[in-house]
Amino acid sequence: MRKKVLSVLLGTAMCMSLLSGCGNGGGNQTAQSDDLAGAAEDTAVSESEEESREGQDETASGEKTTLEFWNVFTGSDGDILRQIVDNYNKTNTDNIEIQMDIMPNDQLQQKLPAAIATGTAPDLVLFGVENIAPYVSNDSLEDISDFWETTGADKDNILENVLELSHVDGKLYGAPMQYNVSYLYWNKDLFSAAGLDPEKAPATLDELAEYAEKLTDPSKNQFGLALPTNATYMQFLWANGGDADDPETNTNLLDSEENIKTLEWLQDLTVNKKVSPENITGAEADTMLQAGQIAMYMSGPWQINGLREQGINFGIAPCVAGSAGAFSPAGGCSYVIPKGTEESQKLAAYKFMQYWLTDDILKEWSQKNGFPVWSKTLMEDPEIQNDEVLSSISEATEIGRSYNLGYSLASQIDNDVMIPMFEKVMTGAASPEDALKEASAGMDKILAQ
Amino acid sequence: MVKSIRKRKKYTAHNQKSAYLFIAPSMVILSVFVFIPLIASFVISITDMNIFMKDVHFTGIQNFIRLFSDDRVINATFNSLYFTLLEVPLQVGLALLLTVSLAKNNRYCKLLRSVYYLPFVCSMTAIGIVWSMLLDPNMGLFAYWLKSVGVETVSFLKDPQLAMPTVIAVTAWKGFGYTLTLLAAAVLNISQSLYEAAQMDGAGSFQKFIHITVPGIWPTISFCIVTTTIGAMQMFDQAYVMTQGGPLNKTETVVQYIYDRGFQTAPYDLGYASAISVYLFVIVAVMTFVLRKVILNRGEDADA
Repeated sequence: MRKKVLSVLLGTAMCMSLLSGCGNGGGNQTAQSDDLAGAAEDTAVSESEEESREGQDETASGEKTTLEFWNVFTGSDGDILRQIVDNYNKTNTDNIEIQMDIMPNDQLQQKLPAAIATGTAPDLVLFGVENIAPYVSNDSLEDISDFWETTGADKDNILENVLELSHVDGKLYGAPMQYNVSYLYWNKDLFSAAGLDPEKAPATLDELAEYAEKLTDPSKNQFGLALPTNATYMQFLWANGGDADDPETNTNLLDSEENIKTLEWLQDLTVNKKVSPENITGAEADTMLQAGQIAMYMSGPWQINGLREQGINFGIAPCVAGSAGAFSPAGGCSYVIPKGTEESQKLAAYKFMQYWLTDDILKEWSQKNGFPVWSKTLMEDPEIQNDEVLSSISEATEIGRSYNLGYSLASQIDNDVMIPMFEKVMTGAASPEDALKEASAGMDKILAQ
Repeated sequence: MVKSIRKRKKYTAHNQKSAYLFIAPSMVILSVFVFIPLIASFVISITDMNIFMKDVHFTGIQNFIRLFSDDRVINATFNSLYFTLLEVPLQVGLALLLTVSLAKNNRYCKLLRSVYYLPFVCSMTAIGIVWSMLLDPNMGLFAYWLKSVGVETVSFLKDPQLAMPTVIAVTAWKGFGYTLTLLAAAVLNISQSLYEAAQMDGAGSFQKFIHITVPGIWPTISFCIVTTTIGAMQMFDQAYVMTQGGPLNKTETVVQYIYDRGFQTAPYDLGYASAISVYLFVIVAVMTFVLRKVILNRGEDADA
């Protein structure tokens, strides 16, 4: 009898271990750090504001509409987003309840297409604008061109270039949620310690290289400029007049003298002058920046909260200029509605989008997260104009330039051509000429599709 | 005569019924998670299906033609083989060496065996994260230790030459406890009288190991080699967590490339990813077949 009990127990244990084996796969995805999560750890969000508004709801009549809402805001900005959504749930008079589900970008990209194909998609999704074009080319998003007419939201109050990011072939597929470009962050304390003016960021490629070299001190494990190898550096290519491709005409623009010059400069910086930690990832660079081990770093506004929390004395400047000027890759997030969402749900989603586009919410979002404002009335707002971070950001935002946004081949070009090219150049695995030649051949293959 | 045959038939039929009942739960699980996906991936591999599952066309063997001219498939195959050829001998060899001294049933040996088994119970993801933190050249413990004895910081997981060996070492560290437990159990089953007889003949401990222990546990060793090899060819978690396939794709294995094509890089080409899966399936099947032939034959020779 005892043996029987034991064998049953063992059998159960074996089954359990089988099941947990399956579970492992899921765990991996959460381990992957998400770009948007960036550096910041959870901020303690005060809930008091929320509670004070409690009790105002449940007055609205009619049937309750529940919206399922997926997004990729796994960082500290997700807490602020949740706060805003909770507030909306409590105060809206249309009896709409939004159920929010935050997941890493990787996971969302795996789940969403399958969910849309099987009719189990959420009613509202918030993701990077670079995703819109591939989803539209697979007929997976609702056309929301009637959004302005239906809701009466003021289209003209939004900056043209921001709105453009949510369009494909002249049709609107998303409502803008945030807009950003890459900035140059610099650590003022490290600048002072190296004998540089802490209030003056480098403005040109040459200055950037010169400062980076001065700020690098291997004995203190301190680096002048972090250049993660899992990223692209369009700002450098553009600064010297080079480019990667033209999405309008499907042309390969990689193989140029300008690009060789830029890549040579980049290789000198990383291989000879060793101003960046070897082979780091973006997430690692975020951590080192917050730990004060990195003097300069180019990244988006999501760094700001983390740096404030760690008490780093930092400044924000536009990306540096080269012979052709200064540019910075733009990005952003938009609310989109998956294909097949019912009309009533779609209208409810419109209402929330409209709510987001009000100046109060946009202002709250920008002030708490340090994202630039793009509502014309808000740009005139004295509070915004007097905010030190936001004003330095709006200056740095002016040089935003689209890098393959709205191009359905963008992620393939990045993953298969551009990132490997920059990695080879920065690690010294190939000469700039060879790396560029190989990348150009790879680009031809992709563009020929 | 006829009667007895019929009787036996009846008996077997009845017996088989309950046998099917016993394997039913496993069969259900295996069908849902193994057989159906296996067949599905064979079918998907001859289509151009992407993750949106719209406009699917049959493309015949086009995916397979593309596969053999893809540098990254060749690179990933090389990496998988490199990983397997080093990891399997390391893990099984380490376990075999330790078995000799730990195959006793006293408290000390039992404790050590449990300690070595511990990493195997942990999730590879957790282990991967912990090791990459320890080995980090900028904030890791190893870098700190190396620095305090005056050695230049080594970036184990960032150096193209060192990354794969590091991943191999971590994997072997995680897995050898399991192999050790299996081998120790087998060693404990060898009759003590054989060792006594050998002692009488004047055999030393090394000779006893080679001529008694190894042949005695050969079936277990070959089981360990075959299962570890299959596992190694399908390596994914550790490289995904610790290196993301980098630097310069030096740790990108076949499974990782499959994942990348299917789920990470647009156009999320499930057809092509499935074709690479089929390719990996064939490689693993052939390797298993050959290994079993070679190792089992050798085992029979050793027995004779």
